[in-house]
Amino acid sequence: MTLKELFDKAVLREILDGLKTTFKHLFVKPVTFQYPHEKRAIPDAHRGALCLLRYDDGAERCVGCDLCEAACPSRCIKVVSEEDPETPLRRIATEFYIDITKCVFCGFCVEACPVNALAMTKMYEYSTANKRDLMFDKPKLYQIGDQMLVDAKKYLVAHNQEENDEAAMQYRYKFPYAPAKKS
Amino acid sequence: MSEDLISIIDQKATIELTVDDEKVSVPEGTSIYDAVIGMGKTIPSMCYHYTFNPFGSCGVCLVEVEGKKAPVRSCTSPVVAGMIVRVDTKTMFDARKKAVEKHLQTHPLDCPVCDADGHCELQDMSFNFGITQIGEVKQKGLPEDRRSTVLDFNMNRCILCAQCINICKEVVMVDALQFFKKGGFTHVVAKGDSALECEFCGDCLAVCPVGAITNKFSKYLYKPWQLTKTVTACNYCADGCQMRVEVTDHTVVRVTSLLSWKDKWDDHAATADGHGGLCVKGRFGFAYINSSERLKKPLIRKNGALAEASWFEATAEVAKRLKAIKAAHGPDAIAGLITARCTNEDLYAFQKFMRRTVGTNQLDSSARYGHASYCAAMEHALGAAQPTVSFHDVTFANTVLVVGSDVTETNPILALRIKDGLSNYHAQVIVAHPVRTNLVKLAPFPYTIAVGSEGAFVQGLTKAVIEGGLVPQRVASEHPTATAVLQTAVASLSWEALESATGLSRETFAEAAKAFVSGERRVIVLGEQIVNRPDGYQNVLRVADLMLATGMIGQPGSGVIRPCEENNERGAVVVGAMADRLPGGLRYDDPAARARVAAAWGGSLPSGGATLAEIVDGIRSGRIKALYAIGENPLGTLPASAGVREALSRLELLVSQDAFLTDTGAMAHVVLPAALAAEKDGTFLDGHGRLQPVVRALDAKGEARPDWAIVTEIAQLMGASLDYTEAEEIRRELLQIVPAAFDAGPAALRDGLDGEVALRYAQPAVAADAPSSEYPFELSLYQVLSHSGKMSTRDKGLLEIDAKSRLQIAAKDAESLGVVSGDRVKVSSPLGSVEVRIDVNGDLPHGMCRFPEHFNDPAVKDVLPMWVDPVSKAPAFKAGRVRIEKVVP
Amino acid sequence: MPTTPAQPPVFTQKKLPLLRTEELMLNMGPQHPSTHGVLKVVLELEGERIMKATPVMGFLHRGVEKLAEDGTYHQFIPHTDRLDYVCAMYNNFAYVRAVEKLLDLKVPERSEYLRTIVAEVQRIIGHLFWLGTQALDIGAMTVFFYTFREREFLLDWFDQLCGARLTTSWYRIGGVERDVSQDLIGQLRYFMKEFPPKIDEYNVLLEKNRIWIARTKGIAIISAEDALSFGLSGPTLRGSGVEYDLRKAEPYGAYDQVEWSVPIGVNGDTYDRYWIRIEELKESSKIITQCLDKLPEGPIMADVPQIVAPTKDRVFTNLESMIMQFKFFSVGFPMPKGEIYCGTEAHKGELGFYIVSNGEGKPYRLKIRAPSFIHMGAFDHMSRGYMIADVVTIFGTYDIVMGECDR
Repeated sequence: MTLKELFDKAVLREILDGLKTTFKHLFVKPVTFQYPHEKRAIPDAHRGALCLLRYDDGAERCVGCDLCEAACPSRCIKVVSEEDPETPLRRIATEFYIDITKCVFCGFCVEACPVNALAMTKMYEYSTANKRDLMFDKPKLYQIGDQMLVDAKKYLVAHNQEENDEAAMQYRYKFPYAPAKKS
Repeated sequence: MSEDLISIIDQKATIELTVDDEKVSVPEGTSIYDAVIGMGKTIPSMCYHYTFNPFGSCGVCLVEVEGKKAPVRSCTSPVVAGMIVRVDTKTMFDARKKAVEKHLQTHPLDCPVCDADGHCELQDMSFNFGITQIGEVKQKGLPEDRRSTVLDFNMNRCILCAQCINICKEVVMVDALQFFKKGGFTHVVAKGDSALECEFCGDCLAVCPVGAITNKFSKYLYKPWQLTKTVTACNYCADGCQMRVEVTDHTVVRVTSLLSWKDKWDDHAATADGHGGLCVKGRFGFAYINSSERLKKPLIRKNGALAEASWFEATAEVAKRLKAIKAAHGPDAIAGLITARCTNEDLYAFQKFMRRTVGTNQLDSSARYGHASYCAAMEHALGAAQPTVSFHDVTFANTVLVVGSDVTETNPILALRIKDGLSNYHAQVIVAHPVRTNLVKLAPFPYTIAVGSEGAFVQGLTKAVIEGGLVPQRVASEHPTATAVLQTAVASLSWEALESATGLSRETFAEAAKAFVSGERRVIVLGEQIVNRPDGYQNVLRVADLMLATGMIGQPGSGVIRPCEENNERGAVVVGAMADRLPGGLRYDDPAARARVAAAWGGSLPSGGATLAEIVDGIRSGRIKALYAIGENPLGTLPASAGVREALSRLELLVSQDAFLTDTGAMAHVVLPAALAAEKDGTFLDGHGRLQPVVRALDAKGEARPDWAIVTEIAQLMGASLDYTEAEEIRRELLQIVPAAFDAGPAALRDGLDGEVALRYAQPAVAADAPSSEYPFELSLYQVLSHSGKMSTRDKGLLEIDAKSRLQIAAKDAESLGVVSGDRVKVSSPLGSVEVRIDVNGDLPHGMCRFPEHFNDPAVKDVLPMWVDPVSKAPAFKAGRVRIEKVVP
Repeated sequence: MPTTPAQPPVFTQKKLPLLRTEELMLNMGPQHPSTHGVLKVVLELEGERIMKATPVMGFLHRGVEKLAEDGTYHQFIPHTDRLDYVCAMYNNFAYVRAVEKLLDLKVPERSEYLRTIVAEVQRIIGHLFWLGTQALDIGAMTVFFYTFREREFLLDWFDQLCGARLTTSWYRIGGVERDVSQDLIGQLRYFMKEFPPKIDEYNVLLEKNRIWIARTKGIAIISAEDALSFGLSGPTLRGSGVEYDLRKAEPYGAYDQVEWSVPIGVNGDTYDRYWIRIEELKESSKIITQCLDKLPEGPIMADVPQIVAPTKDRVFTNLESMIMQFKFFSVGFPMPKGEIYCGTEAHKGELGFYIVSNGEGKPYRLKIRAPSFIHMGAFDHMSRGYMIADVVTIFGTYDIVMGECDR
């Protein structure tokens, strides 16, 4: 042990060094913020609560194809579909449930959806005292979709589901009448 | 191709070819496809199905043949000696890929809404070939053909493989579909581009490789990956079809057959004995399982009305009251009825409950008015009660005699076996029926006989065989006495009497007899119109005589097949759920058999016993105080003349255990909800002797429980040691007592029958009542294709297909009565009268009218008499003479 | 660089003739703040000395391996997030690598670089998390705040990259889900510039601190030989002086394209492992900076129909892509028959996936070799003779996460 080391040990040098560092931090702007008064900026790609979307004319995009149900790794989606009594030939989802308590927010359902009826939003504050409220049904999902439409569309763009709003227009056809395909 | 087929039909030279450097020899005339498939290789194809002849429309099954420039469609090209074929090459893969791409080019973007998505051959092919670029596409933009009640045709999705058309034409032989060009596209439409009106077997739906044909009853409700599939036995008729019940949560969504476009790749073992298809009842009649009318909780009558109760209360009530009645009036004050739609396990548990726990032999099953009469007669004549012919034998029979049966309506899958023989194996099919049935239209030897003269027809046939010298030498040497007695007996029959009874000439009989003996393997299909008549028992004996005279006894592949109406009639007899049968189908009065069963059960068996009619009489006389009816509804089945209502109202305890609240249930003191076949495990013994596994496909509705479980619980509450925890235990117990219970024994002519023969031929068989001027019409209750018993009338889907509770009369009679379809008529007999709408049917003969037995509204059955056979105790109540008058509104 | 050699403690039982002594059984956990979740250890104590330690695991068992058999290969990706929930990206990476190895699938170059960058970012997050919590467990609270400050930055970076901070599911079989934007690259470059001084900041607080040294030096010593025979891996193995890193031994991703070195310890004690992790933070920064410089252009997903889901714009308009989409999500792609083991160097050690395929769209069997689980096997060996207060250090020295351990 050198003399310097002995000296450092005696004067608690390393402790003083540490205290110097922590003392300096008294003058650094805090990195924390005061939730819920301050909130994080949520990126567009954020995978928050799921929602169902409508076409611009208000018609439901979902055709009840059940592919989201098949794609879901946590089996939290249940779709009940049938023929639309008003428009024969049109398949619609009469019931659509997402058990948000089971959902793992992987976004696979959005990736699977062949009509981009599903999207994820920036919504993350929906804690409740009643667990049953967390079984999102069709009206609730559409309500979120209507409320968070801008976020939902941004999500789809961010995750390469729709190039942009205009480009997406051309896909927006209604099953089972397919548009003539561009060759 | 099965080995039988090769051995029977293709006794041709074999030729050798090389497939992918491998030598293989196949019979001449085989297609390349069959030859390659036979080697265990696969060639992708979309229009090929092993059930019919190759059609060659899809162009996918391409192979390379040395010496030919272009790829060859293997399904339609026959093999040539020395041919060198290459299957697994890159060029062929690309050629097939191109062919699939062609189909994709005209296919719409319908996957999200299509029901076939996930069970689609086009999807599979596209995925397996890794198709990513299909080039120019063309959309058809056609509207969906929604005219049919059952099937929707979406021609946008059609790939024109023609499997639906081919299976309908060649296998089902209904020929209801065709290609039709309109608007520049080829469509598949019903014949004549009209609404599809056919048997609705749905085989076209099953083989459709895409979603072009869809099931209206489950349209858009599911995707295949959401459904839990269970293979179980159908519980409508006794053809014993295995079907796939597809369930989501607690609802049956659809029923599919083992036959599908997919099974061409798989092992055909599951469908080897038939083609694997279903009929309209099996495929579309599943809604009754989901019905909201189902009983969900036990009901107990309190203050005159049925009120819901818990299982504990209900079973305790039944046990308590049965015990009290047994203590007060003895065990013979209790009787039991069980339906032959129950599983073998239910039936066994019930008969053991009645005989051991209650201690009475007063029990019967619905096989009494079905299969029992046949069993009694055949056991008497040949020693073997059960038919020995399998579906396989029917397919490969040289001659098939169908008598007294409209088999395409009552047992459509058996009819398909006959049709298979007819079209593929050149069977001589002889049909004798008063009505121009579907089979009459197809058969090479159709005979329209007078109403009710089926017995006389069989006699005439026997006489023609004997007098025409068609009795084989073997028979005369093996059964000299019987042959001699039969010879003298038929001699006493006069041709004139037979001719007047049947309406057929002597020459016709000779022709039919000649056709009948022309082949080695002969099958007689014995329908209910010959067996379940007042003279049914005698008729079956007459059939035994015909079998003897033509040497069918002991001839492999020959025999009788009995198309039963209820799925487990044969099982009910074999399990012993009847007063005259012991477990194993042994006779109740056979001392050795009784001793065996008694020893196995550890106690004695009750003596005496009562069958259905005797039970009803016993109740009416006040001797029987309690009736336990499982699935049986005597009030809804038997005519008013049987006096069931009056009888039931006298009971101290009536327990109805059923899935629905029936007429009988409405009068019951306790109603217990029972599980349906799809909701329990067990076995059925079908009409041709195969033990069909019944597998639970979904949970029972509400609190319903399997019949055997309810019976076991009541027995336990009554202090008896019936302790089954699963259905298999019951079956094991039965097989321990009678190891060969479910096997039919060999048939052989019994000694001492000769004396009776002469008696049988003393007078010609005629219909029970002669036509009289007062009651000129012969009314019969008949089965329609879309229904089975009364159960199917609870089915929404089948009612949509056929809900016609109408009296059918011949066109000629309608004209003379001055009525048209839809008019109301009054049907009267000495027993009463009823008003009913009519339907004119051109296929009916003059003087005949008929009403579907499934419907009780209006109660046409109540104008008919009931007649109980003295030997087999089988009641016959489906025919009688009536008068028809037009009702002037 | 650690130099002072340390010896494992030699503890001899001293029996005092007059006092009655007996072994004390003590349950530590599963509800204990320093057991990193729900680990229970049954300690047999002689006074304060540990005579025997039996880890009891399985409180967090969720049957992940069984769940894998129920879904397609693609569907299992989110389940891997929840193994080592601190480092989801690396679990994703290890899993998709195993699947790709069985498929013999080549991933585009850009994708390989991105995977390496994100994996190293995840390694930094993992080590920062370890450092913070280990210091916290031992009693130094400030380091925890500092490391989490940097960790937060990177987690937010993840959020922008894939939409989630912890359960990322960003890796895909055949590539990655989403490309990085220029903005994200800029953020990462900024971070890499700022990061080295931050490492010094942690070191000032710990490196020479006598309490830290007293609590880590000579604690949980394991010899190189023992470490190998217990199957240890990662920093736990390298702390004992074994130079074994899968990134060097069997390079994957872009690890063979960049310059970096593997830090090796001498004594095999907790202090050496601390030192290795600090050095790895620096090495990871080096790897990330080099990868960002070399990042090639190109696609991020392999162009293999069937195995890779088609892009959405094609699904909307092309039947063949629509069919691929439906098949991919409902039945999955057909996997060649066979079995594969593929190990990946996660920050905790070797994370391996063993997959048995019977040719269907779902794994027939999937086994996860979780480093935390393997390391717990050496717990008894490494804790005997130490004081009860050292148990916390020994838990920490492996960097265990029970989500991965119990699976």
